[in-house]
Amino acid sequence: MASIEFVNVTKEFEKKDIIKDLNLTIKDGTFTVLVGPSGCGKTTLLRMIAGIGPQSSGAVLINGDDVTAVAPGKRGVAMVFQNYAIYPTMSVRENIEFGLKNNKVKKEERNQLVESISAAVGLTDYLDRKPSTLSGGQRQRVALARAMVKEPSVFLMDEPLSNLDAKLRAQMRLDLIELHKKLGTTFVYVTHDQVEAMSMADTIVLMNNGLIQQEAAPEEIYHEPNNLFVAQFIGTPPMNIGELGVDGVKFGFRPESAQTSDTPVDEYLSMEGEIATREMLGSETLYQMKYKDSAFMLKSNYAFYKVNQKIHIGVPEDKIYLFDSEGTRIRKDHERYSSYLEVLRGY
Amino acid sequence: MKKKTFWETCRPYVMIGPAMIGIFLFVIYPMLYLVYLSFFKYNLLNSAMSRYVGFENYIQIFNRPDFYKSLTNTVIYTGGVVVLTMLISLFFAVWLKKQTRLNYIIQAGIFTPHIISIVSVSLVWLWLMEPNLGFLNFALEKLGLPTSQWLQSSKTALFSIIIVSVWHGIGYYVLILVAALQGISPNIYEAAELDNTSRFRVFRRITLPLISPQMFFILIIMTIGSFKVFDTVRIMTGGGPNNATNTLVYYIYGFRTTNIGYAAATGVVLMVIIGILTFIYFRLMSKKVHYQ
Ligand SMILES: Nc1ncnc2c1ncn2[C@@H]1O[C@H](COP(=O)(O)OP(=O)(O)OP(=O)(O)O)[C@@H](O)[C@H]1O
Ligand SMILES: [Mg+2]
Repeated sequence: MASIEFVNVTKEFEKKDIIKDLNLTIKDGTFTVLVGPSGCGKTTLLRMIAGIGPQSSGAVLINGDDVTAVAPGKRGVAMVFQNYAIYPTMSVRENIEFGLKNNKVKKEERNQLVESISAAVGLTDYLDRKPSTLSGGQRQRVALARAMVKEPSVFLMDEPLSNLDAKLRAQMRLDLIELHKKLGTTFVYVTHDQVEAMSMADTIVLMNNGLIQQEAAPEEIYHEPNNLFVAQFIGTPPMNIGELGVDGVKFGFRPESAQTSDTPVDEYLSMEGEIATREMLGSETLYQMKYKDSAFMLKSNYAFYKVNQKIHIGVPEDKIYLFDSEGTRIRKDHERYSSYLEVLRGY
Repeated sequence: MKKKTFWETCRPYVMIGPAMIGIFLFVIYPMLYLVYLSFFKYNLLNSAMSRYVGFENYIQIFNRPDFYKSLTNTVIYTGGVVVLTMLISLFFAVWLKKQTRLNYIIQAGIFTPHIISIVSVSLVWLWLMEPNLGFLNFALEKLGLPTSQWLQSSKTALFSIIIVSVWHGIGYYVLILVAALQGISPNIYEAAELDNTSRFRVFRRITLPLISPQMFFILIIMTIGSFKVFDTVRIMTGGGPNNATNTLVYYIYGFRTTNIGYAAATGVVLMVIIGILTFIYFRLMSKKVHYQ
């Protein structure tokens, strides 16, 4: 069990600040998912927790204690590396039990742990193989097993499921959620996959350029984005954004918030456009609608609009988001909120 | 299926032809000729007087104490050079692994002897090791350490030659090992750190296995090279004192004018020894060496 805290942490590489003045608290026992575009510093953050790429300034606290001087192996932290980093010269079994041996765990206990963990990740038949004879997904599972077997109080995972096929990934996702429930330890999990982030996280931390954009529960981050970046990062397809034409303010709505119809729709924001593309996804269909100079994505249960067909859409007032020229969200309590919203009336 | 034309059948052989001719002329033919010569009592002045003697040269080899003496010397020399070079170059490689400017300079320094001809190196060391006027004894004396007769005593001569050979060759092997060490992904070391691994265990369980192919390469190359040592002996001691540094190749060289058949037979024996050693190495190491 452990909480993690970043206090004014800065990390530089070659005199460039990759992470600047970061403050973040990860509560004990939570499942925190770090998301963000490639190169935003997710791996860097994990490495600072593990102690293998220490911060340039500031402090990292585990359980309230500054761990700057604590060796990585003594922090009670296990990490699954983005590129697995399994020991190439050791068999799968040796890989899994290497940490246990270093910590002088007895042989019977060790064997028992290795058996149960390898069964859990489906590696039982591969225990005596060398990593070079395993597939990418199998290697990833070795890396997972190696971390799990140490029963750490903090579990760091850097895109641990990225190389698995869809079925196995869904399975492992459930397994990890279950594992988290069972162990109750703190999980910090990095992913590119929004579905993963949404389905697993207690808290999502969305980063960009080394800055935290928003830190919130999945529902909140989806429905109440702090700024334009969050709104456009989360959701597939992301939020539609249009220019309000006043003070550089932008408005946005999610593709599924728009009602579609052949006849004009009586909603707060309504417009008529022309379907440009159509993607059938199964239960839903994605349309791209051209309106004046902009294009909006629509997600609808109705699959029979045709390309070049004219349609009407309507978005209710409470599904409209406003952002100022810096991209920050304009919330209801903003003095000019209603006057901006008014502009949309005749859009 | 289409039938292959004549040209298509021949093409691969024509392609490798030039290389094969070279190998035959310069490798296979001399080797066979060496074996052929070893069955003769060869007369240099009049080759018509050469006489086929069967295995007599070989019988003679295995009955002569001076052959065993030079064989023993060669084995000691090889053992010494191989062990010392491996240990010292591993030490330097681990030390110089970090790519700092200072390390580049040191590495260049260690490598420099390798580009100098072994003949010059031998001459310089011959001079350094001179017991009365040489620098080594001078330095030892200044430091209050016992001096040595170096090349002039049969007790220390072979070891002195080993020192020179190791000094000359080490830079090259450090280079190979540094490259091998730098090829290991840093993530693996980080994973080991998170696994709470002691430094010694990291070295033994991770570093060594990962550079074992290069270590093996060095072992083979050095063993073969050391068995054929000649220049250092020729220049520094001429096999002396009292045959203390007479090695196999130098031994063969000694018979170049007097008994070519015997020299050839010894050459064949040397070839067989090296062949057997290499074979054993490969059998042993194929189990231990890890190729990714
Ligand atoms: N050792 C290093 N030296 C110099 N720059 C580095 C180093 N490690 C990372 N960086 C830089 O730091 C930034 C953040 O890297 P990081 O690996 O944390 O990204 P990431 O968010 O994990 O990306 P991805 O999703 O692609 O894995 C990148 O711009 C990268 O170029
Ligand atoms: Mg990363």
